[in-house]
Amino acid sequence: MLDKNLTEFLEQGLAIHIGTRNERLQPNGGRVTAVRVEDEGRHIVAFIPKAAHHGVLDDLQSNGQAALSCTRPADDRAVQVKGEFVSMRDADPNEEKFAVAQWEGFLKQLDLIGLPGASTGTWTMWPCVAVKIRVTALFSQTPGPDAGAVLT
Amino acid sequence: MSRLGLEQMASCFQGLVPAMFFTCSKDGIPNAAFLSHVDYVDPTHVALSFQFFNKSRRNIAENPQALIRVIDPDTNQGYAMRLKYEKSETSGPIFDRMNLRIEAIASYAGLKGIFKLKAADIYLVESVERVPEEPGVKEQRWSPRSGRPDAVFTMKALQDLSMRINTATSLDALLETILSGLKEYFGFSHSMIALVAEKPNTLVTIASRGYPEGGVGAEVQFGEGIIGVVAEAQKPIRISGLLRGMLHANAARKRALDRGLRPDRGGVKLPGLQNPASQLGVPLVVRGELVGVLCLESETPYRFHEEDKTSIELLGSYLAIAIQNMQLQEAGEHGEDSVDEVPARAAAAGNGSSRREITYYRSEEVVMLDGEYLIRSLPARILWKLLQTLKREGRAEFTNRELRLDKSLNLPDYKDNLETRLLLLRRRLEEKGGCVRIVPRGRGRFAVEVGCEVELVERA
Repeated sequence: MLDKNLTEFLEQGLAIHIGTRNERLQPNGGRVTAVRVEDEGRHIVAFIPKAAHHGVLDDLQSNGQAALSCTRPADDRAVQVKGEFVSMRDADPNEEKFAVAQWEGFLKQLDLIGLPGASTGTWTMWPCVAVKIRVTALFSQTPGPDAGAVLT
Repeated sequence: MSRLGLEQMASCFQGLVPAMFFTCSKDGIPNAAFLSHVDYVDPTHVALSFQFFNKSRRNIAENPQALIRVIDPDTNQGYAMRLKYEKSETSGPIFDRMNLRIEAIASYAGLKGIFKLKAADIYLVESVERVPEEPGVKEQRWSPRSGRPDAVFTMKALQDLSMRINTATSLDALLETILSGLKEYFGFSHSMIALVAEKPNTLVTIASRGYPEGGVGAEVQFGEGIIGVVAEAQKPIRISGLLRGMLHANAARKRALDRGLRPDRGGVKLPGLQNPASQLGVPLVVRGELVGVLCLESETPYRFHEEDKTSIELLGSYLAIAIQNMQLQEAGEHGEDSVDEVPARAAAAGNGSSRREITYYRSEEVVMLDGEYLIRSLPARILWKLLQTLKREGRAEFTNRELRLDKSLNLPDYKDNLETRLLLLRRRLEEKGGCVRIVPRGRGRFAVEVGCEVELVERA
């Protein structure tokens, strides 16, 4: 589902958010520290800060629907990954280096567009919950008339 | 109702940090998307820009519930706002305000007609909560107490500027005083003033500061770039996240061009920072009449603040009156001084042996200097007249009055702005090296000085 190019794009350090919804179809959402593509692109693991209390984890366990928006700030190239919840666990301390490196990649992107990435130093992006999602669809989300087009 | 007041979150609505917009379709599929701008409407409502009929917008049509995440750029505190869609507006003050910003960015990116606001979607804010994983710093990074890195609009600065402006005795000096005062009292290093040109719906830059290229004489059509959009709307525009907005627009542009869509016209070549992060356009309007536009640029992303709005409008009104008064004063001084005792004649640049070709294209009313564009329209007609007279009669001294009476120049009967055009011509000649110069010789008089051999060529 997620090929090599898309995997490289997603794992380089992007602005990543996860969107979910509750049983009343109220949307919830929050920031994601990092993602990792697994199982030859069939699954994606989202590292969600444990400090967050936005209902996302409850939503995932109750109905499983998820949307990951992944945007590269420097040029606004963006991809939306739709998927279904598979499992969640506390992220392993061994995964911290990988996740923090990706987050720092995102902060460097912010610096490129004149937003000081270092000013996010108060944010709590680790420890995380690792949420495994089965990829069901991919869409381009780069601004413009083709936003929303299906990626194959 | 919200526990936190939207009024205290003004910094979140400057467009500096993009917002995240979460929606859900009626069949339960969530969606997450960046949103370039959230606009404050009133203490219980915000407006979101609707530019493309994307998935978020389709979801809202099916299910009016939404969640938005914003960041306060002053403190870096994250907020989650639960929203409910109420209505879309395609006209009115909220739409106009959002549209101006988008128009300016679109025009800059050469995307007019593609990157545009379809509607301002109005949402009820049902709740606002601080996001626990994105805590901000306690003190605002740029609060007046902590000391903002740049100067801001203060009454003291406005007072200092106005006192200095009052000492100017000519339009030339006034424009220089304004721009130098904006740097000295407000800390704005990059600024320009464009005045209404002879050609309809056109402005021309008459003065600039902080740009190596100068850029005097650059023309701007109404509706193009921040200056043109400000001129057309006669309203100030403050863009905080210009770089972000440009990236967003450029991404859209690339997609649009890939699909064969063509923008209306290319970008406007003006003096400007290569990567401006903030821009401010201030219309200079007197009794409903547009005199010109003041444009300020900064490489600081969050340079112009919401609380500066009133001061900015006040500044614009004051500068407009000062410029128009000086234009009228100079135009009304029909009597000429006696010729000043000519000081040691400042020779025009050049050693007299260099040779320059000045070509006048009559049908286009354009003067070229050595094949490069120099000036057009009325200033071009004036220059050509002066140079021909100098060559034919050997006369180098002229009066504004004789130009006004010269029917061949086709000056407008009403408000010809001759002095402004002469100033523009003088500055353009200076920018081009000063081989030919126009030198004031007292009230209503000037001289043409030529410091090189000039060949005059006239073409149809």
